[in-house]
Amino acid sequence: MENAAIFGWALLWILFWGALGGVVTPRIYARKDLEISQASFGGAVIGAALGPLSLVPLWIATPKITSRLIGIAIAIVVGIFIVAFALADPDNLCVANGGFVISQLANGIVIGVIYGLMALGLTLIFSILGVVSFAHGEFYMIGGMVTYFMTAEWIPGVSPIVAILASCIVTFAIGYVFERIFLRPMGSGEIERPTEYAILVTFGLAFFLQYFTQALTSAVPVKAQRFFPFPRLELPAESGAFLRMTPGNVTIFDAISVPNPRFTAAVLALLMLAALLWFLYRTWVGKALRAVSQDRQAAAVTGINPDSMNTLAFSMGAMLAGLSGASLVQVFSWLPQVGIPAAARSFVIIVLGGMGSLPGAFLGGLIVGLVEAAGTGCIPDATRAAAYIPAYGMVILTLVLLLKPTGLFGREL
Amino acid sequence: MNPTALYRVSGTVALIILFLIPLASSEMGGLGSLVLSSYFMHLAITAFFYAILASSWSLLAGYAGQFSFGHMAFMAIGGYTSGLIGKFIRFTTAPSELCTDVPLLGNWWLVILNIRRVGTIDESCLDMAKAETLPAGTLIVFPPVWASIAMGLVMGAVFGLLVGWLVLRLRSTYLALFTIGFSEILRAAISAEIPITEGQSGLELVPLFPGGIAGFTSTSKIPPYYAMLLLFIFAMALMTWLAGSRFGLFIRAIREDEEAAAALGVNIVRYKVLVFVITSTLAAAAGALQGHYIGIITPNTLIILQMSLVIAMAVIGGLENIYTASVGAIIITFLLELLRTSVSIGPIHIDMTLWRLVFFGILLMLTLRFQRNGLLFPILERISRGGVAAETVSIRAQSDEELDEELEELSEEDEELPEEASEPASGTDTSAS
Repeated sequence: MENAAIFGWALLWILFWGALGGVVTPRIYARKDLEISQASFGGAVIGAALGPLSLVPLWIATPKITSRLIGIAIAIVVGIFIVAFALADPDNLCVANGGFVISQLANGIVIGVIYGLMALGLTLIFSILGVVSFAHGEFYMIGGMVTYFMTAEWIPGVSPIVAILASCIVTFAIGYVFERIFLRPMGSGEIERPTEYAILVTFGLAFFLQYFTQALTSAVPVKAQRFFPFPRLELPAESGAFLRMTPGNVTIFDAISVPNPRFTAAVLALLMLAALLWFLYRTWVGKALRAVSQDRQAAAVTGINPDSMNTLAFSMGAMLAGLSGASLVQVFSWLPQVGIPAAARSFVIIVLGGMGSLPGAFLGGLIVGLVEAAGTGCIPDATRAAAYIPAYGMVILTLVLLLKPTGLFGREL
Repeated sequence: MNPTALYRVSGTVALIILFLIPLASSEMGGLGSLVLSSYFMHLAITAFFYAILASSWSLLAGYAGQFSFGHMAFMAIGGYTSGLIGKFIRFTTAPSELCTDVPLLGNWWLVILNIRRVGTIDESCLDMAKAETLPAGTLIVFPPVWASIAMGLVMGAVFGLLVGWLVLRLRSTYLALFTIGFSEILRAAISAEIPITEGQSGLELVPLFPGGIAGFTSTSKIPPYYAMLLLFIFAMALMTWLAGSRFGLFIRAIREDEEAAAALGVNIVRYKVLVFVITSTLAAAAGALQGHYIGIITPNTLIILQMSLVIAMAVIGGLENIYTASVGAIIITFLLELLRTSVSIGPIHIDMTLWRLVFFGILLMLTLRFQRNGLLFPILERISRGGVAAETVSIRAQSDEELDEELEELSEEDEELPEEASEPASGTDTSAS
C-alpha cells in the first residue's frame, strides 16, 4: 500500500461518525417520542455515510428511518470505502485492472450461490425445528467425500451425477436417523431446555462424524476431477473472441474468466435451488413445511404432522449441505476438517440474512461470496489474504451483531 | 453420615492424596513399590489442565446455560500473550536505541524487540545493541514468568469482555455461533502471522521456573505439578464460592428462564457477561500455565477437536456440576492415553488414535440423550443421597395422603363445586411422581 494513511483516516472517519450516530440518534428519537427500533442502526449507517453533513439534518428533521434511507446510506458507505481504497493503493490489481475486478466479482457470485445453497439448508432446519445444526459443516464434508470416493476410488468412471445423487442419499439418511433418535424427543417435552440440548447434541454429531470419516479415510487431502469439462470453443472463431472455452476455463470478452469447476458447481447449485423452490412452493409437502415454520399448532390442526416435518426438514437441510459439498469437491481439496470453516461461513450467512429466512440465506450467501472474493483479490499480501478467508465472514458477522442482530430479513428476536 | 460431611471427608482425602502423589514419583524415588514415572506426572498435570477447562466450561454452560465453543480460544489467548511477552519484551537499564524503547521509572527501560521479517534470520535488535550502543554493564532482565502469566489473564478477561459484550445481549445460540467463528479466526491469525507467533511451528515459552525452584531443576515435573494443582484448587474454590452465592443463583435463574429472571430484577446481560469473563479468565490462566509447562504452544491447541474434547469431558462427567465435570476430565484424560495403543486384528489395522475420538463422540451424544446429568452424577447421588431419597418419598407419600384427606373433607363440605377440589388433587399427584 502506498498511501495507507488515506485509507486508515477514511476508516476512522467512518467509524467515528458511525459510532456517534449509533449512540446519539436513538436518544434524540426517544426524546421526541418517535419510534426507535431502527434509530440505532439507521443512525450508525447514516452517520458513517456523510458524517456531520447527514447527521445534523437527521437530528433536526428526525424523519422516519425507512429501509430505503438505510439502503442509500449503506451504498454511500461502500462507495467511500472503495474510493478510499483506490486512492490509497492505485497500483493494486483490483484498482488498476478492470478485467480482474469483473472476474473477481463473477467468481464471488458463482461461489456465493453455492454458499447460499448450503446456508439455505441450515436456515430451513432453523425455521422448522428452531435448532441451529452445528453438524452442518460435517454434512458438507461428507457430501464431498462420498462424491470423491464414488468417482475416483470405488467405481472409477461413474457419471458424476450418480455420485452426487449418492452423496445426497447418504447425507439425507444420516440426517434422518440422527433426527429420529436424537432430536425427535425434544418435541415431546422429554428433554429439559431443548435449545441447549440441541446445540450440544449436534456438536457431538459433528465431532463424531468428523473423526469417523477421518478414521475411515485418512488425513490426506483429496480432490475430484472436473465433473463436466467444457468443450473447446471459440465464438466467433477469431482473435478477440466473445466467448472462449477450454476444458478448464471459460472466458467472456477476454475479461471475465471463470474456472470450469466453479462454473459447473454454480450451475448445479442453481438447478438445485430451482428444484427446492418448486418443492417448497408447488408441492403439498413443501407447503406443509412452510406452514409448520409459520405456525406449528395451526399446521397441526389442519392435519400436518409437525414431527414428520421436523424429520424431513432436518434431513433435507443435511442433504443441501451434502449437495454443496458434492459440487465443491472439484473446486477445493478435501479433508475431514474442511467442514468447520464452511459451517462457520454458513452461520455468518444465516445471521446476516436473518435466522430462518430463505431469501435472506441466499442473498447472504451472495454477499459473503463477494466480500471473500474482494478480500482475497484486493489485499496486497497474497498469502496473508488467503489465510484470512474465514476472517472476512467474521467481520461481517461482528458488524451485523453490533448493528442489526435480526439480519436483513429477520423475524423479531 | 450426612451428605455434606461425606463430601467434605472425601474431598479432604482426595486433596491429601493429590498433594502426596509427587512423593511416589520416580524423581523422589517412589514410595516403596509404587513408583510413578515422569510420564504419569505429565499426564496428571495435563489432567488438571483439562479439569480446569472442563469445570470452568461447565460453570458457563451447565450453570449459566451459555454455550461457548471458544473456550480453547481463550486458553490460547492466555498462552500466547504470556509467550509473546517473553519473546518480545525485555527490561534494561539503558535505552537500546535500536529497538523500541519505552522509558520507565528510575533508570529502567522497557524494550520491545523488533519483529522478525519473513524469510530472514535477523539478529535480534537487542543483540546488536549489546555490541554497539548499550554501555557496558547494562542489565538486561527478562520479564518474570508470573507477570507474563498475569498479563495472559488480563488479555483473557479483556477478550472475554469484548466477545461477551458483543454477543451476550442476544440469545444463547448466537454465542455458540460467534465463538466457533472466533476461535477459527484466531487460529487463522496465529497460523498466518508467522513473524510474530511463529505460526504452525509453535511459539516457544520459557519454563515455568526458569532457574529451578527448591532444589528442583527447571525440567522437573514436580513444581509444575504443584503449580497446576494449586491453580486447579483455586479455580474450584472460586467456582464453588460463586456457585453457592447470589451470583450462582442468578446465573441459574438465567439458565432456566431469561425473561422470568429479568422480570424479577436480575440484570441478565451483566451477569451473563460476568460469568463469561470469569470462565474465560480461568481458561486463559490454565492456558498460560500449561504453555509454560510444555514449553511450546501451537495454533493446533485451538482446533475444534480440543474444544470437542473439553465438551465431551464436561458432559460425560456431568455438565451441571463443576466437580463431576472436573473428575470427568481427569478420568477421560487418562482414558484417552490408555486407548492410544493401536490394535491389529488379522489384516485389519485399527488406528486407535482416531477411533478413540469416534468412541468419545458417540459416548457424548448418548450421554446427552439418555443421561443428561452425566455418567458420574448418578453414582455420586446414589452414594450421598441413598437415604435422603427414600425419606423424601415417604414424606411426600405422607403429605399426599394428608392432602387427599383434606381435599376429601373439602369436597364433602363444598359439594356444589366438586370439580375444583379434584383439580389440585391431580396436580399434586403429578408433581409427587
